[in-house]
Amino acid sequence: MIELSHIGKTYQRGDGTPVPALRDISFTIARGEFVTIRGASGSGKSSLLNIIGCLDTPTEGSYRLNGEDVSRYTDEQRSRVRSRSIGFVFQSFNLLARTSALENVEMPALYTGERIDRARARRLLERVGLGQRADHYVTELSGGEQQRVAIARALMNDPPLLLADEPTGNLDSVAGDSVMALLSGLNAEGLTIVMVTHEERTAAHAARELLIADGVIASDRHRGLAVVREASA
Amino acid sequence: MSLLQVLTVSLRTLLRHPLRSFFMLLGVAIGIASLVAMASVGEATKRETMRQFTRMIGTFDNLTIQPGRASTRGMPAVNTVPPTLSFADAAAIATEIRGVRRVAEVQAAFDLDVRARDQSVPTSIWGVAANWMDIRGFEIARGIGITDENVQGLARVAVIGEDLRTMLFGDEDPIGQTIRIADVPFQVQGVMASRGVGPGGSSLDNLMIIPVTTASRRLFNRDYLTSITVQLERAGDADRVVDDITGLLRDRHGIVPPVEDDFTINNPRASMMRVAEVSSTLGTILNGVSVIATLIGGVVIMSLMLMAVSERRREIGVRRAVGARRRDVLAQFLAEAALVSALGGVVGVALGVAGAAFAAVRQGLAPVLMWEAIAGAVVLAIAIGLVFGLQPAWRAASVDPITALRS
Repeated sequence: MIELSHIGKTYQRGDGTPVPALRDISFTIARGEFVTIRGASGSGKSSLLNIIGCLDTPTEGSYRLNGEDVSRYTDEQRSRVRSRSIGFVFQSFNLLARTSALENVEMPALYTGERIDRARARRLLERVGLGQRADHYVTELSGGEQQRVAIARALMNDPPLLLADEPTGNLDSVAGDSVMALLSGLNAEGLTIVMVTHEERTAAHAARELLIADGVIASDRHRGLAVVREASA
Repeated sequence: MSLLQVLTVSLRTLLRHPLRSFFMLLGVAIGIASLVAMASVGEATKRETMRQFTRMIGTFDNLTIQPGRASTRGMPAVNTVPPTLSFADAAAIATEIRGVRRVAEVQAAFDLDVRARDQSVPTSIWGVAANWMDIRGFEIARGIGITDENVQGLARVAVIGEDLRTMLFGDEDPIGQTIRIADVPFQVQGVMASRGVGPGGSSLDNLMIIPVTTASRRLFNRDYLTSITVQLERAGDADRVVDDITGLLRDRHGIVPPVEDDFTINNPRASMMRVAEVSSTLGTILNGVSVIATLIGGVVIMSLMLMAVSERRREIGVRRAVGARRRDVLAQFLAEAALVSALGGVVGVALGVAGAAFAAVRQGLAPVLMWEAIAGAVVLAIAIGLVFGLQPAWRAASVDPITALRS
């Protein structure tokens, strides 16, 4: 599903000095996996997630998504890939205010070039347990409910991959647990999930954990199982 | 995204930010309203000016020849004009110039006191040929006009204007009454239909019309004319006929350029064109002011849209993340600007039409609904939205989703 090989990302500072954020990152994520990426702030995990999410391109190496090398795609091509293949869930939900839950869920369908399947949006809201609240403004919903709307939105275009960036970061532990239970359930149904988190209890839902430090993979292990690969830092 | 989807999303977004949308709409509406109102009032004024002009000079298919050089202007009266235009000149024009239908001789005097019984009022005396009223398009309200027999017989008969009738006779029947001009008695045989007020605001109905021959021989004892009115076969011929008459009169008066002509030919059609031109110039200036007002509306849209873009960076980031291309974002913001501007245009047209109707009624003009101006205003509004929305839309499309989502 995801194949990163020798990915590097270097930013240019204002004065032209290159700042490396990622160096020689290589790993593969198979379809159906639930992987967390952990790392201190500034470790490069956001840069990595942006590249996996096709929001950004690597400066070195190649990235194959579903067998398609997207590492040199143009902005427009990456938009298409995001539309078809990637669902995003953010820490701060990022729902449109003064807009109903249903409209938020439908929104990604606007950019597919196809007809908007409203029934599907309703089904997705039911799937995340908000069937009764489809027509509520998102501002009327609790944080946990908002995040579940956001998850339904991420699933609208039926992407094979879901990227979650600290999905429980703004939630209390009860709401956070329910969101994680939802994600685990979706993963059990076959959805590939890559999640950035720094919370141990959240990370515990994933079978595999990538640890990033200083722009390189510090460890890659299957939780509770044998260490797959221990990279030298 | 289909255009319908783009517009739907734009409309929803506008409704989600009612205050901002209202101000954008207002900015354009004011400009468009003034554009529509100015165009409409301008047109109504122009039509009213032309109507007054028409009422003053009658029909447009005639020319007026006056004695004296072009520089000596104003109404020529029998006691002040150079004695250069003769009855024979009028006859020569009638017979020798091609394209002339009829010719009327005029001998006029102004501010003469006339008396009926104990009343004495100043009026204008128009000694005219029998066909003069018809050539000028003046109508008889009561009785009869000056006839050929009157002219041939030097009859002491008169046709009077509505104001003179009121002043001299009040509610009495004026027909058959006697009016004296310097002790010469005239019998009223007709009353002219009211012409109302001229462009200068003075009455066009205080006058007394008598046969030109009677004026010449029995009243003023002058055998020259104060003007000759020439009716054309075709109004379009005016320029050529003016040239021909100029040649004829120069011959008859022995004038060889560079000696100045001792007559002046007025072409009312040309004069009216000048008036129409002046009012259309005025209209153009007013329209220019309104266009500037509309442009200011565009600037309002631009600045509010720019504000909206920075407020909605996060929304833009999310839309980009879920698959919106740059051009989708561009299209959406452009559509918002165009839509709000178009709505402003529609509101502006409504306000403008209402304002113009109000102004027209207050000034006693007939309201004019100008469809071209209305259509043009709406098109202008949409164009304003697109043009002034372009920069904000471009900025929105350039928002980097990564930084927008991080904030």
